[in-house]
Amino acid sequence: MTVAAGIGYALLALGPSLSLFVSVISRKPFLILTLLSSTLVWLVSLIVLSGLWRPFLPLKANVWWPYTLLVLSSVCFQEALRFLFWKLYMRLEDVLDSFADRISRPRLFLTDKLQIALAGGLGHGVAHAVFFCLSLLPPAFGPATFYVDRCSKVPFFLVSAIIALAFVTIHTFSMVIAFEGYAKGNKVDQVIVPVIHLSAGMLTLVNFASEGCVIGVPLLYLVASLTLLHCGKMVWQRLIESRNQSGPTLR
Amino acid sequence: MDRNQQRPRSSILDSLGEELIGILTPVSICMFTVVLLVCLLNSDPSSSSSFSSIATAAYSETDSDSPWDKLLGAFLNSLVFVAAITVATFLLVLLFYLRCVTFLKLYMGFSALVVLANLGGEISILLIDRFRFPIDSLTFSILLFNFSVVGVFAVFMSRFSILITQGYLVVIGVLVAYFFTMLPEWTTWVLLVALALYDLAAVLLPVGPLRLLVEMAISRDEDIPALVYEARPVIRDDSRLVQRRVWREQRSNVNDDDVENNVVRAEEEEEQRSEEISVPLIDSSSSSSSRPETFLEGIGLGASGAIKLGLGDFIFYSVLVGRAAMYDLMTVYACYLAIIAGLGVTLMLLSVYQKALPALPVSIMLGVVFYFLARLFLEVFVVQCSSNLVMF
Repeated sequence: MTVAAGIGYALLALGPSLSLFVSVISRKPFLILTLLSSTLVWLVSLIVLSGLWRPFLPLKANVWWPYTLLVLSSVCFQEALRFLFWKLYMRLEDVLDSFADRISRPRLFLTDKLQIALAGGLGHGVAHAVFFCLSLLPPAFGPATFYVDRCSKVPFFLVSAIIALAFVTIHTFSMVIAFEGYAKGNKVDQVIVPVIHLSAGMLTLVNFASEGCVIGVPLLYLVASLTLLHCGKMVWQRLIESRNQSGPTLR
Repeated sequence: MDRNQQRPRSSILDSLGEELIGILTPVSICMFTVVLLVCLLNSDPSSSSSFSSIATAAYSETDSDSPWDKLLGAFLNSLVFVAAITVATFLLVLLFYLRCVTFLKLYMGFSALVVLANLGGEISILLIDRFRFPIDSLTFSILLFNFSVVGVFAVFMSRFSILITQGYLVVIGVLVAYFFTMLPEWTTWVLLVALALYDLAAVLLPVGPLRLLVEMAISRDEDIPALVYEARPVIRDDSRLVQRRVWREQRSNVNDDDVENNVVRAEEEEEQRSEEISVPLIDSSSSSSSRPETFLEGIGLGASGAIKLGLGDFIFYSVLVGRAAMYDLMTVYACYLAIIAGLGVTLMLLSVYQKALPALPVSIMLGVVFYFLARLFLEVFVVQCSSNLVMF
């Protein structure tokens, strides 16, 4: 609609991640590198998926079941890639720990590991927001706006920004849950992350129904807040545990 | 343990990777500025046909040619351009061999003046026109004159504030890159690939001009006269472990655990740091217009271990991203990430091989590959999904 509206939509999708970046990630250069590499991993996964699906596109309009297959395959691929990313991170952690031993500095603390996981998740979230929301925004900087038939109450840019915000939250915090789950071998955490991702993807399919976004978007935010709560609870427990462990040794 | 109680808990994560960020930030700023300029000033695509320089001397592209003609013409153009750059680089090697360093430094100052005044003035006028900014010509010329003269001093003199020098180097990179994005499309892509291959050959082959230059500079223990961006040197307290054997210091036997040598090196670095910053630009003005082409130097390590990246690398990264911006923003993000990944790979190779490496090939190849992948596959997929509000 105007430059102000365009910037507004961009900030709606990326505002919280920008504040996370400025307050947490920009303090430590290594976290910026983690963010960039996880963004790259997400981009590569998206390119591979689009290469796989290219022969079948463009899909017929108003038919929703091919999109189910698309979301299913994409989520499975991305979750597999998340596991590989974790394996890579474990190797990196070993390298960093041996480097720390060599220069006689303390090894990675729990907060360091959580911060690296947060940076990785934020990278995924930012990549999602950039490719699904921001790359379609340039028309919003012009004089008019655009409405989609299926969601006719709000401009298309606003809806996609709101959905992108939910997904940024989900990606960021589910990475923290996933890393801790894989590290501790906690089955609940390991399973809950793909379930969250899949259910979020499936919920966006509700947008296919006419005016479906009125139901779909609040449910999506429910999933996002559940992710936030679970992650917060898990991190709190972990921090209390580690404080109890190191507490008795401090005299 | 006692150590944890008495000292504040500083983890290694606090300062790891600082040098990398020190070089990634200016590259990102340069690319971002070029994309911004392209988006602001390029609402009219047909104006690119009036741009003529040495890079379009062999063939100027028109819309009505067939793809094969365009490809052939672009190939001829890049051949001419790479040949011109090779000749200019060999000339530079000859002048350096004959120790005409003053001449080279003066030429560098002159070309910085040309870039800042001429190209900077042109872009400022385009911006003033676009935004209808009210300014009179006298004020404008005084401001432009001040801006260019300070820039020449920043590039020319050694004891200038490092932040201003870095800022002016980025500005010079942005200005030259913006003008290169005005080349015709096919010529730009073929030229980028040709330059990546040339950079690979010139730095790694034994007869390559850049390699000769680096070896001469090492043997004489002098600076290469070229425009080079040096990231702010990082000072560490336990510097014995962040040793990077710099290619200038290869002949001194420095042990990693020898603290004494580090003290000596720190003092030596302070004196030599001034020389590192005053690095001239070598330009060869083309025959048909005054567009300068900058000297391509690979990536290397500065005296204090800070990373040095040649300005030509800045320029061609930004040209790639600027040309991607002319298509769509999705290709911009994909190319940006690809270039950063390529730069990271090059820096890792640098820390393994410890000698000057070409910074263009990996990034440009990855950038070109990602551009075509994004344009052919990614865009259709993402637009399909998000226009139906299906996301994952």
